[in-house]
Amino acid sequence: MTSASAVVELDSVSKRYGSRTIIHDVSFSVMKGEIVGFLGPNGAGKTTTMRMIAGFTAPTSGRVSVAGYDMATQNAEAARLIGYLPERPPLYDTLDVSAYLRFVAKVKGVRRAALAADLDRVITACHLEAVTRQEVFKLSKGYRQRLGLAQALLGQPQVLLLDEPTAGLDPGQIQETREVIRAFGEEHAVLLSTHILAEATLICRRVAIIDHGRLLAIDSPAGLQRAVAQTNRVVLEVTAPADDLRKELLAVKGVDAVAVHPVSGHPRLTVECQVDARDGVEAEIARVVSRRWDLHRLERQQPTLENIFLQYVAPTPGSANGR
Amino acid sequence: MTGTRAVYEKELATYFRSPIAYYVVAVFLLGTGYFFLYNVFLTGETTMAGTFQNMGILLITLVPVISMRLFSAEYSGGTAELLLTLPLQPWHIVLGKYLGAVTILLLLTLGTVVDLVPLYLFGTPETTTILAGYLGFVLLGMACLAIGELFSALTHNQVVAALLTAAVLLAFWFVGHLQTFQASRLLRAFVGYLSFSLHFTDFIQGLVRTEAVAFYLLVAAVALTLNASYLQWRR
Repeated sequence: MTSASAVVELDSVSKRYGSRTIIHDVSFSVMKGEIVGFLGPNGAGKTTTMRMIAGFTAPTSGRVSVAGYDMATQNAEAARLIGYLPERPPLYDTLDVSAYLRFVAKVKGVRRAALAADLDRVITACHLEAVTRQEVFKLSKGYRQRLGLAQALLGQPQVLLLDEPTAGLDPGQIQETREVIRAFGEEHAVLLSTHILAEATLICRRVAIIDHGRLLAIDSPAGLQRAVAQTNRVVLEVTAPADDLRKELLAVKGVDAVAVHPVSGHPRLTVECQVDARDGVEAEIARVVSRRWDLHRLERQQPTLENIFLQYVAPTPGSANGR
Repeated sequence: MTGTRAVYEKELATYFRSPIAYYVVAVFLLGTGYFFLYNVFLTGETTMAGTFQNMGILLITLVPVISMRLFSAEYSGGTAELLLTLPLQPWHIVLGKYLGAVTILLLLTLGTVVDLVPLYLFGTPETTTILAGYLGFVLLGMACLAIGELFSALTHNQVVAALLTAAVLLAFWFVGHLQTFQASRLLRAFVGYLSFSLHFTDFIQGLVRTEAVAFYLLVAAVALTLNASYLQWRR
């Protein structure tokens, strides 16, 4: 199962607290040179999974390995290769920024001769130049987040575990931070959890969707879109008799299913058509409908990552066991 | 060892960048100064015996203030997640923090040396007795700090850590009094052996017993080992 380039590997990992199972039998891996996005609603188990990979908590069963080291027995060796930014940046408020970074660098075994250069590297990458002498408790939220990222980059990590790295940043800082992550991800491995679905599409090669402690899907953003391509929908608002409209629409080539919902207090109908992925279906629908009735609105809905995500984490168990 | 040292330096920086170290040192030296004046100038005895006794009980009340933040603050500040995922073994962390706290203890001890000046100027105190007293004081402090660190590791709340530590230290300090109520010789010896204050009294009187040295060191070692094991188990 271990492949040469898998930096992080989870093999049937479960975590229980008392009788509550937080993580159910999760297996996936993060390869060298790839950024994997970890998506899930609050309480899905993202943070717990990150903590198990980082070695902060141990799985109840299953195996976590980082760079070939088993986190159960060799976590000290593996810790050298992990840069970890927890959900809440782990900062010592009473220290100043450079003292804090120096502490982390020393613990990570950065040699005295290389210390200054390493500090400069992360300070520049995370744009902390202006605050190096400030005490941490005086920093704004954005700076705290970036200082947290800076400590994760210290030393020579092979893998970055980032729990919502762009939370609390302004749009400019988000852009800069993504660049840092993207650059790191070119040669190393990154696992980042996020609420921002667009972020996952932008910088992640693969996206893992987790909910209620279960891994529901892991694939490239494009692959996930293909997997749910049948959710291509055309939504229209029409003033028309429902039965006639349904008959006409089903006659259009490429329309697989039609659902008609009356708009309360209106003669209008909202109609959802499941269509195939071909272009031009919506034009044909528009032509057919507007020939006989008043067409008020027509919209083709592509499967965005939002839709995919919502489809996977939907409460219906049947639809949530995708892949 | 680099890890232990980095943790140690961080601890010291944290003590001195917060009011805790200054508060503890100030209160301790003021208290000791008062007891010294009382014991020496009012009673006219040129010994440190009375002062050491008072220093002991003062230390018991101040140790919880020194030790309460050691782990509790890491948990509540979210930094435990960093500390416990860095390339550090639990005992590196426990030892680094412990040495930081012991450094504060040594500073306290050093501060009281001022009291010796008038003692030597105006009297002829027994140097070896005084040295024995200081040794006892430092050993007592080391045992107390190890207990305080352990309780700090058990809770997120610094106040709870301090209260638990104070309760346990006071129990160890006063447990010797139970001797009065014990009919069995064995039990009398046992509670006597557990007593922080009875061992300390030996040192104050100039008696450095291997048994007493070993007792304090053993208490410290057991507490530190439990602390490191707890961190390991906590994962």
